[in-house]
Amino acid sequence: MEHTSPLERILRGIALTAVVVFFMFPILWIVLMSLQTNETILRSPPSMVFEPTLSNYQAIISGQLTGNTATLEIKFMGNLLNSIILSVGSVALALLLGVPAAYAFARHKFRGSEDIAFTLLSFRFAPPLLVLLPLTIIFQQIGLADTYIGLIWVYQLICLPLILWIVRGYFEDISPDVEHAYRIAGHSWFATFRHIALPLARPGIAAAGLLAFIFAWNNFIFALVLASADKQPVTVGALAFITASGIQYGQIAAAIVLSIAPTLALALYAQRYLVEGLSLGAVKG
Amino acid sequence: MTAMLNLQGVNKIYNPNSRHPVHAVIDLDLAVQPGEIVALLGSSGCGKTSTLRMVAGFEQVSSGSISLAGRDIHTFAPARRNVAMAFEGYSLYPPLTVRENIAFAMKSEKMATADVTARVDEIAQLLDIEDILDRYPTSLSGGQAQRAGLGRALVRKADLYLLDEPMGQLEPQLRAHLRGRIKHFIKERGLTAILVTHDQTEANALADRIAVMEGGVLQQFDTPAQLKDAPANLFTGTFIGEPPMNIFAAQAKSENGQLVFALDQGVDLSYDPTAFPDALQQAILGLGTVTLGVRPHAVQVRDHGAKAQVYAAQWLGDQTHIAAHFAGGSVVSVHHDRVSRAKGEEIGIVIAPQDLHVFDTASGNAVSHGGTLA
Amino acid sequence: MGGLTITNLTKRFKDTVVLDDLSLEIEEGQTLVLFGPSGAGKTVLLRCIAGAVEPEVGTIQIGGTDMTDVPPEQRGVGMAFQNFALFPHMSAFDNIASPLTAKRATRDTINDGVQAVARLLKIDHVLGHAPKELSNGQKQRTALARALAAQPKLLLLDDPLRNVDAKLRFEMRLELPRLLAEQGATVVYVTQDYKEAMALGDKIAVLVDGKITQVGTPEQVYLRPADLRIAEQFGDPTINLLDVTPEQDDLGMHIRLSEKRVPLPPGYDGTQGQSCVIGIRPEAIRFTEGPNSIEVTIEAETPFNEKTITLCTTFNGREILISRPAGTDAPDEGKARIDIDATNAVLFDRSTGLRIAPQDTATSRSAAA
Repeated sequence: MEHTSPLERILRGIALTAVVVFFMFPILWIVLMSLQTNETILRSPPSMVFEPTLSNYQAIISGQLTGNTATLEIKFMGNLLNSIILSVGSVALALLLGVPAAYAFARHKFRGSEDIAFTLLSFRFAPPLLVLLPLTIIFQQIGLADTYIGLIWVYQLICLPLILWIVRGYFEDISPDVEHAYRIAGHSWFATFRHIALPLARPGIAAAGLLAFIFAWNNFIFALVLASADKQPVTVGALAFITASGIQYGQIAAAIVLSIAPTLALALYAQRYLVEGLSLGAVKG
Repeated sequence: MTAMLNLQGVNKIYNPNSRHPVHAVIDLDLAVQPGEIVALLGSSGCGKTSTLRMVAGFEQVSSGSISLAGRDIHTFAPARRNVAMAFEGYSLYPPLTVRENIAFAMKSEKMATADVTARVDEIAQLLDIEDILDRYPTSLSGGQAQRAGLGRALVRKADLYLLDEPMGQLEPQLRAHLRGRIKHFIKERGLTAILVTHDQTEANALADRIAVMEGGVLQQFDTPAQLKDAPANLFTGTFIGEPPMNIFAAQAKSENGQLVFALDQGVDLSYDPTAFPDALQQAILGLGTVTLGVRPHAVQVRDHGAKAQVYAAQWLGDQTHIAAHFAGGSVVSVHHDRVSRAKGEEIGIVIAPQDLHVFDTASGNAVSHGGTLA
Repeated sequence: MGGLTITNLTKRFKDTVVLDDLSLEIEEGQTLVLFGPSGAGKTVLLRCIAGAVEPEVGTIQIGGTDMTDVPPEQRGVGMAFQNFALFPHMSAFDNIASPLTAKRATRDTINDGVQAVARLLKIDHVLGHAPKELSNGQKQRTALARALAAQPKLLLLDDPLRNVDAKLRFEMRLELPRLLAEQGATVVYVTQDYKEAMALGDKIAVLVDGKITQVGTPEQVYLRPADLRIAEQFGDPTINLLDVTPEQDDLGMHIRLSEKRVPLPPGYDGTQGQSCVIGIRPEAIRFTEGPNSIEVTIEAETPFNEKTITLCTTFNGREILISRPAGTDAPDEGKARIDIDATNAVLFDRSTGLRIAPQDTATSRSAAA
C-alpha cells in the first residue's frame, strides 16, 4: 500500500531505529572503549561520560603496551601489515584464478563441470581443522610453512569458492547473445571475454572480491596454526593483549577499531556493489 | 439507463508525498452501460492498467468514486466487488488442474457439482481447452494457459468482467475464431466487460466502445467506427488504424478560388471550395498551419494527382500495401486486392475531400473530418 | 555459387532433435524468410549459420566456402538479434563500430562507416547515447546498424521487429527491403509474422519441428500451401478448413457443404470419394441471397482493421469465418446466407495433411481422351 498514515510512519521509524541501534551499538561501544583508560572502562556502573584519551592508540602504534605492572612489546602494526598482505594477496590470486574459471563454468557445460564446481564450493563447508593438521606437516616438508605464499595458498580455500560462485552467477546472467554478437562482429573469444564479459560482470567481481577480502581478513585458525609471530595477522595478534597482568580492554578496543577500519571503509565504499552482488550471487549462484 | 460501472473524477497518484509523484490517471470519467463491452486502449504507461486495478480493487483511488451496479465499490476489498478478472499473466493456481482452476470460484460459492461440471465443460468447449482440462498449468503452452485463465474468469457469475490483455499469447490461427466466440458468449448472456489492451486489433474486434488513453488522460471514448472516422485529436487519429494514418504538415490558403493545402516540396492539394462549408473554410484558413491526415485505405493511387515515387509494394495475401516518397516524407496506400507497382514507379496520389482529416497543428485537436466540422 | 548453402544439417540438444537433416539454398543477394512457430528451430538454424552453435552433422557454405568449422568471428556475417543484444556498457557509436574495430580499421574509416550506416537508419543523432538511453525503436535500429556496419556478404536477422511497437514494425516492414537491397547482401530473415514473411521475402522457407516443409515465393506459399499447418498460418483471419469428400456428377467435381453443391476448380478429377480438407479463404465467402447459397447463423461480428470478420456456424455446427471490406453491406443478426467461391480453394488429403495438387487441366483432358 502506498498510503501511509502518520502512525505507520512513526512505527516504521521506531522499528528502523531499533534495528540500527541493535547492530551499531557494539561498534559504537568499542569506539568509546578505545578512547578510555582501563580504569574508566572497568568502573561500575559504566558511564558514557569520560575524558577521552588517545593513549590506547598511541600505545598500539608505538608498540609499547603499558600495563599495570610492566611494559610489554607488541607488534600490532606488523600484524596489520600482515593482514593487508595476506588479504590483498589472496584476493588478487583468487580473482586471477577464479574469474576465468567462473567464466568457463558459466559458459561451457562440459562433462562433470557441475561436479567440479560443487567440489570447489564444498571446501567452504569443510571444517578448517580437518585439513589443518595434514597441511601443517606438508607445508613443513615443502618449506611453505610460515611463508606469505603458503598462507595465501591456504587462504584460497576461503576466497576461491566464494569468487567462483558469485562471479559465475553474474556471468550466467549476461545474455549469451551479447557475447555472440561481439564474436560475430569479428572478435576472438578472448577479446569477447575481456571487452564484454569482464566489464559486464564487474559489479559481481567487485562484490565477490570484497567479500573474499573480508573473509580472508577475519580468518583466524589458518593463521594461528600456520604462521609464526612475524607473519601473524591482526586476528591472531590480538591474542597478545591477554597478558599475565590482566586484559587491556582499552588497547584491545583500539586494536579492534584499527583492524575493522579497512574492511569497514571498503564495505561502505562499495556497499552498492556488495548488496547487488550478494543478492544476485545468492539467488543465482 | 443507469450505467453498470461508473467512474467519476477518478485520480490515481503514486507516491503522492515523494519528490516525484506519478499522476497515472487524471480526472477520469467513464460510464459503462449494462451489457456493453468497453476496451481501455493505450500504450504502456497510459493509465489503463491503473484504472483496471482500481476497478478490481488492487489499487486504491487517490480521489473520485467508482460505482458498480449501483453500489459504491471503491472502498470495498477486491473479493466483495463481485468482479471476475482474467489476468495478463494468467496466474493459474499451479497445484490445481485446469478443470479445478476453472471451477475454483464456483466451488467456493458451494455450487452443486453437476452444475459446476456443466459450466466448466461449456466454457472449455468455447475456448478449445477440453483436451487439457486435466493437465496442470506448468505443462501448458502460453496460449493454452491464457485460454484457461480466460475460462476461469468467464465461468463465474459477476457484475463485471475484467479482461487484462486477454489474447496477447493466443495462437495466431485461433485468434479470429476465439474473438468471435468470446464476443458471442459475452453478448448472448448480456455480460458487461472491460477489456484492457494495447492491441487495437483486439479492442476493435471485441469492444462496443473504446476508451483511448494516453498520459493518464482519456483522449476519446467512442465506437470503433467513430474513432476511425472522427478522431478527436491527432493522437487518436494516428494511434487508431492499422497501418497508421498518413500525416502531412500543410499551409492552408485560398488560391484561384480553390482551397489549397501546400505540403512540403511544393506539393499542392487543391480542392473545390464547394466540398467544404464556408464556416469550415474560414476555420481552416484562419489557422493557416494545419496537419492533414488521411487513412491509408483512402489514399487513391492514380495516374494523375500529386506526384509520388513508389519505394515499396507489398502483397500480403489479402491486401496490398504501397509506400511512396511524397511531399518530403512518405505516403502509404492500402488496397483490398492485389495491386502490382514496381519500385521506383511514378504514381499520382489523389485524396478525396471526404477522406481528409484536418487537425490544428498547435493544439492537435481535430478541425474537420471530410467536409464536416469536428 | 555465392549466397548460402546448407546441407544435411542436424542439431540435437540432449535427446531433442532441433534441426533434422535440413538442407537449404539461398541465391546471392536474395532475401529468404525463415518462417515458423516458436520452437521450430529457426533461431538455432540462424545460430548455426553464424557459428554460435555447432551442428552435429552437415555443412554450411557461405559464398561458396565451407564455413562449418570456422569460428564465428571469421565467417564474415552480420547478425541482428531479437533481443537486440546491444553491448550495454558501450555507446551506440561503439556498438555499431564493433565490427569495424575488429578489422583494425583506422579511426577515420570507422567514423565514416558508423556515420554512414547511422544516417541510413536515422539514428545519427543518438550515437553518443548508451543503449539504456535509447527508445526501443532506436535500439532496434542500432542493432541493425551494427549488423550492417561491416557490409557483410551474409546478413542474419533474427526476428528484429518482434520487440518494437506496431507502428514502427509497420514502418520498418516497408523500409527494410529497400535498405537490404542497397546493401546487396544475402539475407536470412527469421519471423513468426506471416505478413512480414510475405512483405520481405524473395522466398519463404517454412520450418516446422526442425524440418523445412515448404520453400517458395510468397505467392506460392499463400496460394498453394504445401500442407494444412502452413495454410493455417498464412492469413489473418485464418483460412477456413472444412472436412469434405469430393463427388462427381454431370457438371463435374464438387463438394457438398450443408447439402449445397459447391463446384471445385478444375484438376481435381482424381479426388472423388477421397477424405479431404478444403481450405477456403475468408475473403472468398460472400453474403448473398443466391439460389445455391448456404444458410448460416451469425455468431459474432468482429471488425478487423479495414475489414469486418464474421464468425458463422452452419446448421451442422461447423464454424466459418467470413471477411469483407469494412463498410460494405452488413447482414442482419441471426440467420444469413452465404456463397462460396471455390476458385482459389486448396484441397488437402485429410490423413496426411498434404496439399493435393490439381492436375494440369490439359493433361487431365488428354488422359481422359
